[in-house]
Amino acid sequence: MGKNLKLKSSRAAKDMSQKDLADTVGVTRQTINAIEKGDYNPSINLCIAICKALGKTLDQLFWEDDENE
Amino acid sequence: MSKNVLDEMQLQRRNRFGNQSFMLMFYLLMADIGLYGFGFRWLKYPLNVFTIMLICMTYYLVRVILGNAYVGPQSREKHKIRMVLYPAAIAVLAAAAVVLISQKGFVMAQTQGDSDKGAMILFTVSVVFFTIALIVGVIAKRQNIEDEE
Repeated sequence: MGKNLKLKSSRAAKDMSQKDLADTVGVTRQTINAIEKGDYNPSINLCIAICKALGKTLDQLFWEDDENE
Repeated sequence: MSKNVLDEMQLQRRNRFGNQSFMLMFYLLMADIGLYGFGFRWLKYPLNVFTIMLICMTYYLVRVILGNAYVGPQSREKHKIRMVLYPAAIAVLAAAAVVLISQKGFVMAQTQGDSDKGAMILFTVSVVFFTIALIVGVIAKRQNIEDEE
């Protein structure tokens, strides 16, 4: 699984740190870090919580098309 | 979310490390039984089991702390010291109580060999765990700072 750069850039666009996002969705900062690095595959509930926190859709943050995989 | 609840990644890791520790203990105990069957006694009866349990629990504790699955997201800052000190204090108190009761003669049970060393083993185990938790906690904190952002 590759790095999730879309999540990282969306977070940065909202001017949120990993800690801010983690506090918002109720997980540890290390979990957000692992998701961004592609080391952890989050559950659909966590994906939805992250999308709501960043104001994006699941497609925009987690869908990997062939070009970006 | 409740204070001490781990997040999903921490739960997943904890389960994995728990399974690994369990299998490690199973294989070590099987090896110990096998060695015993061949007539090789590396430690007397209660100590060999205690040692194997200590090895497995140490492995579990080290993996959990290094894997950042020891405390949940909400309790991270506030209860870090309490979570280490309370179990250590309880273990020391329990060991002291056992020593006191055995010395005052409240309990007149007959023991065989080294099996009356329960308090000493409990105390040693708690001290070893406390030291390991402290060292691994410092290492984990340093790693945590390094991988920030």
